[in-house]
Amino acid sequence: MIGAGIKRGTAELAILSVLEEGPLHGYEMARRIEEQTKGALRFTLAALYPMLYRMEQRGWIRGAWETSPSGRRKRCYRLTPAGKKKLSPLRKEWAELFGALKRLTKAAHA
Amino acid sequence: MPDWREIVSKGLSGLKLGAGEKEEVHAELAAHLEESYEVFCKEGLPEKEAVHRTFEQVADWQDLRRVFCKEGLPEKEAVHRTFEQVADWQDLRRKIFIAKRSGHPMQKRVQQLWTPGFLTMALSMIFLVTLQGLGFQARVVSWNGPRTTLLNLPWLLSLPFFGALGAYLSSRAGGSRRTVLLASTFPALALTGAFLSMFPIGFAMERIIGRRVGFSIVATTLLRDGIGWLLVPGAALLAGGVLVNLLFSGRTSSQSTAVG
Repeated sequence: MIGAGIKRGTAELAILSVLEEGPLHGYEMARRIEEQTKGALRFTLAALYPMLYRMEQRGWIRGAWETSPSGRRKRCYRLTPAGKKKLSPLRKEWAELFGALKRLTKAAHA
Repeated sequence: MPDWREIVSKGLSGLKLGAGEKEEVHAELAAHLEESYEVFCKEGLPEKEAVHRTFEQVADWQDLRRVFCKEGLPEKEAVHRTFEQVADWQDLRRKIFIAKRSGHPMQKRVQQLWTPGFLTMALSMIFLVTLQGLGFQARVVSWNGPRTTLLNLPWLLSLPFFGALGAYLSSRAGGSRRTVLLASTFPALALTGAFLSMFPIGFAMERIIGRRVGFSIVATTLLRDGIGWLLVPGAALLAGGVLVNLLFSGRTSSQSTAVG
């Protein structure tokens, strides 16, 4: 299980990554992140929505109310061009960090 | 099934946001909990367990629920009493408030309104001057008997494109529908503001220098010709802005249907 601090840091990357595949509403986003990370990342309401609202304020994502085929109104979020632009360097930063940590732990075990 | 909307509204009742914004947050969170509950039910969990698992998404409410159940309260009442006391609602309320009020409003306004608006104005003005340089002057058009107005048709035809550009740039920066439309009609709005400000400026200058200057006359003339220079251009710019808005919202809807 990944610690809380790292989770907070990677939450933005997780949300931007799943939204890159297409627009999603909050519940579906949380479910997809949980499935794709095999339960390592789980979003509670208290973690997900403040994060979504903050990202929306920054202009990385945009939410819009839509009606699903079942007639239920849901707020769907989609990536904005600013969000797409943010995703690439963010991915690189985290990959570099995890790569560095991996090398460090390998060296420690050697 | 618990009334999720009521539970969320109660839990977040102290959220210091505008009525509309608060309503949206309540609706969104309630929809999340409701969907979560329905999925648990579809997975075959008994109702009580589904409620429990759904509540876990807000807080570790189990201990409190046990306390209330021990007190002999019915399950439904225990659930409500629990939620009223869960401290995580306060945390959630605080986090949502901070998130909704985060960002740099000034920077956002520059990106979503001022930059697209001024760019739209600059480009449309440059295009007008270019057209005039090429000999496309405004023409007097008669309407309603003796009334006339000045219209520059080639320029007017170009305005929906400039309006669309302003709207697109604003939309790209994450502007709301209102901001997008304001950015697209910015040249007409700014010119109206400039013309209107000529009245008080002219009046003040007359007072200072002690003689009449032609500001009011100029402004009156401009406002009289406002149909050709403000109203029709404003409508043309707005048409472009509305089109971009429709295209964007249309794309979002079709994608969401695919998501289901």
